[in-house]
Amino acid sequence: MRVGDLGRLALIAVAAVLGACSTLPGLGGQDPIRISELVEQGDPARRASQRLLVEGLEADIAGAQARAKGRYERAIQIDPTNPYAYLTVARFEVDRRNADQARAFLDQTYALFDAEGGMPPRVEAHFIGLESAVAAIAGDRTAAARGFEQARRLAPGVWGDAYLTAEELL
Amino acid sequence: MASGTGKKTGRKKAARKAPARPAGGGGSRARPTGRKAARKASRKPGKRPGRRWTRDHLRLALRILAAVAFVGGVVSGRWLLGLDQTVRERFEGRRFRVPSRVMSAPTILYPGFHAGRFDLEGQLQRRGYRADAGARGSALGEGRYRWASNRVRVHLRAFEHPTRSEPDRDIVMRVADGVVEEMRELPRGREVGAVLLEPEQVGAFYGSSREQRELVVLDDVPQHLVDAILSVEDRRFESHVGIDPLRIAGAMLANLRAGGIAQGGSTLTQQLVKNFFLTPERTLRRKATEAVMALLVEARYDKPAILQAYLNEIYLGRRGSTAVHGVGEASHFLFGKRAEDLTVAESALIAAIIQSPNRLSPHRNPEDATERRNLVLALMHDQGRIDEQTLAAAQVQGLGVARIAVDPGDARYFLDLLRRQLPEVYDGPVLEAEGLRIYSTLDLRLQRAAAQALENGLESLEREYPAIASEDPARRLQGCVLSMRPQTGEILALVGGRDYGLSQFDRCAQARRQTGSVFKPFVYAAALDASAGRPLITLGSFLEDEPLEISTPSGPWRPENFDKKFHGHVPVREAIERSMNVAAARLGQEVGIDRVAAMAKRLGITSDLPLVPSLALGTAELSPLEVARAFATLANGGQRPWPHAFEDVVAPDVGTLDRRELRFERAIDPGTAFLTTELLRGVVERGTGRRVRAMGMEGPIAGKTGTTDDERDLWFVGYTPELVTVVWIGFDQPRSVGISSSRAAIPIWVDFMTEAVGKRVRGVFPRPHEVQAFEIDPRSGALAAASCPRSRREFFVAGTEPRDICTFSGIRRAGDARAGRRRGILDWLSGR
Repeated sequence: MRVGDLGRLALIAVAAVLGACSTLPGLGGQDPIRISELVEQGDPARRASQRLLVEGLEADIAGAQARAKGRYERAIQIDPTNPYAYLTVARFEVDRRNADQARAFLDQTYALFDAEGGMPPRVEAHFIGLESAVAAIAGDRTAAARGFEQARRLAPGVWGDAYLTAEELL
Repeated sequence: MASGTGKKTGRKKAARKAPARPAGGGGSRARPTGRKAARKASRKPGKRPGRRWTRDHLRLALRILAAVAFVGGVVSGRWLLGLDQTVRERFEGRRFRVPSRVMSAPTILYPGFHAGRFDLEGQLQRRGYRADAGARGSALGEGRYRWASNRVRVHLRAFEHPTRSEPDRDIVMRVADGVVEEMRELPRGREVGAVLLEPEQVGAFYGSSREQRELVVLDDVPQHLVDAILSVEDRRFESHVGIDPLRIAGAMLANLRAGGIAQGGSTLTQQLVKNFFLTPERTLRRKATEAVMALLVEARYDKPAILQAYLNEIYLGRRGSTAVHGVGEASHFLFGKRAEDLTVAESALIAAIIQSPNRLSPHRNPEDATERRNLVLALMHDQGRIDEQTLAAAQVQGLGVARIAVDPGDARYFLDLLRRQLPEVYDGPVLEAEGLRIYSTLDLRLQRAAAQALENGLESLEREYPAIASEDPARRLQGCVLSMRPQTGEILALVGGRDYGLSQFDRCAQARRQTGSVFKPFVYAAALDASAGRPLITLGSFLEDEPLEISTPSGPWRPENFDKKFHGHVPVREAIERSMNVAAARLGQEVGIDRVAAMAKRLGITSDLPLVPSLALGTAELSPLEVARAFATLANGGQRPWPHAFEDVVAPDVGTLDRRELRFERAIDPGTAFLTTELLRGVVERGTGRRVRAMGMEGPIAGKTGTTDDERDLWFVGYTPELVTVVWIGFDQPRSVGISSSRAAIPIWVDFMTEAVGKRVRGVFPRPHEVQAFEIDPRSGALAAASCPRSRREFFVAGTEPRDICTFSGIRRAGDARAGRRRGILDWLSGR
């Protein structure tokens, strides 16, 4: 290996270590995301969409599922590119054990976060956990167990029981 | 004669044989002689004149009378029974035909919403909201709004919906430059993020009678409404038995004095009978029937039932081509509110117009309506139904009627599509009578914008190109505008032609037309698709636009470009931006026409696709609706939505019967969708769709023009991250329009989109993580090192980026030895 290559490798290694440090679980003490924190972020349509998600989650907690679903759908109508809206609906569908629907919404969640520069670390636990829940519903216990373990490491306070409630997302 | 035989006769016999006494009676009279004697002799023996004739005839007459009475009794009894059965069937069966209504999507208001473009005040008025002149800070009733400098306060009405009910909300919005900046809810002043404006009625499924009706329950209507109606129409309703002789007498007297019909004598029951069962003819027979049926109704049903039926049946005016029946519908029509919310003055007005709803229409004759309303109020007071104070307050009030909101005729194509999408169980009789509420996806603002854009656009073309104009409706230029939300498949606007009244054929959903170059994105998507291995092309590839000849069963096929030229070795982007036919045809052959067809199907095309070489150039006949769906899949990152026109079907007192859940499914991988969208963004930036930019649209927009042979079909399909809109123009009997799609279809698209979302489009097309950006040399397609003389950014699915590298010294092929070549520091850092 030539000196130039070694130097390049060293630079890359340092960058990799620094990058990995920023994503190590538990570091920085970041809790997983809550939708209620987001109501003031983004353009007007995004903020309105987030507020509707909050209303939907509140309805969900109160047991008014139909009303909650209506709010979530309104949130998507106002801002069809809001990844949090799809994440919230994915949770709702997991609750109803609709694996196919949940998977489609998670797919969209991922694509939209990608479009915005990548999935925020505070969202990752929820995303992985919900993916694992979908795998569990579909009968893939191995993938589910693996995913739940990862989600637990990222957010033990929320994913310790392998379940995300509406309160925990609100 | 027997007496000559010698037989003995008794005294009785002898007496019977004796001549009858004369009519005057008495034996003292002398025997008649002369003519009288001759008449007597000619009489039959044994007949007694006078008494015998009367008794027999009387008996006969009585028998005849009895028979007549019996037959009459049977006939009238049958008649009565028939009337009674009619009454029972109507009262105990389904009494009213209530047309099912189609409601628009509710409008969501939020901070940042462009109230100016939205025409907030117009929207409120169409929903029956009324301006309030009260002082700032004073109470504002539900269904009212009040402007004050840069603020508008609206007391939003509650509306019912199984999943999306909303309570009433008193909201203040601060508006600046037409944009809502802040929204707060009173009385606390809490900031709110979003509120819903209740849906508007888009249309209804009427029967032949075209009656609009909203049923009310007697317990729910205010007492003063009942009092108002009874005071003027039937003050003795509670005590009469169906007909009111006093009223009849009073009416006769009044009419005699007036020398004509000045007053009616019918009770409410009679009016109900007339409306329910009878024809409007004015004959004695009909009047008699009406009276008898009224008695039957009163005999069978109690007063509350009769009154409730009346309140739901009475005719109260017209709204366009439909008749308004019942106080429920009239309350909405006149005041934009439910009957239970009517004030005393409003109730009096409704009662007032019963006499002649068209002549006394408060919209057309406010003075007459006011005068009669005040008469009703006076009657209510005279009869002790309201006090002096209430009377005085009500009589000084204005009529306060809402603006008439006629069903938007330009949504009829959409209604037809919705009806076709409804499950078969909702057939004509059900829709026309069961009073369902169908919550649609239609955004009325966008619908109006689409109708306007199409009409303006076609008229403009006809003015500019008089040769294509025609007086014959069947030969006029036609079009379609359809807009859909790609993430959800909601059809937000659909205009299937210029004039539904002239032609109900839906050119958006029912027409099948050749798409021309609009089909090419499917060819490129198939070529970019890596799902079966390495893609055939990348965005850095080159295509050959050279003469091509393909053998077909009908002979050789030699595709040509629009400019009749061949352009040689061209970048993929340029090939699609300039819509080169030959390059696309060659690509279609390399990919395989079957794979092209499969890709189109995956995206959402449902029509049959002939597996012929020309498929790549859009010779298949497709509908704008399925084209919209296919492009929506691209806009939605490869997730294919389900186009739908309704979300919920709700039955009164039952709840939701049908619900369309939000759903979509992965059709193609996100990388392919993104790359195809990238190509189509180039079409808008630099290619045949650049007129979009020239007309001032900004932001992320992708699209494709399509012009078929001889310019018979002109298409533009354009999409943003939030909206896909298709425009098609052509003649129903295909013939050349003689204009390019860029000149004809794009202006209509821009016109619509400007109204829908403004000039600046919002959002981003999501770039999946597997797609990465690289700098490439535009001339060679090689990766551009920092020292490469030229470069542009291009997107590739990771692992498909070019291997060759462009440096200042030339193109280094993949695998060339690096030793002995000079490299810059940037090249060194980048490892090239």
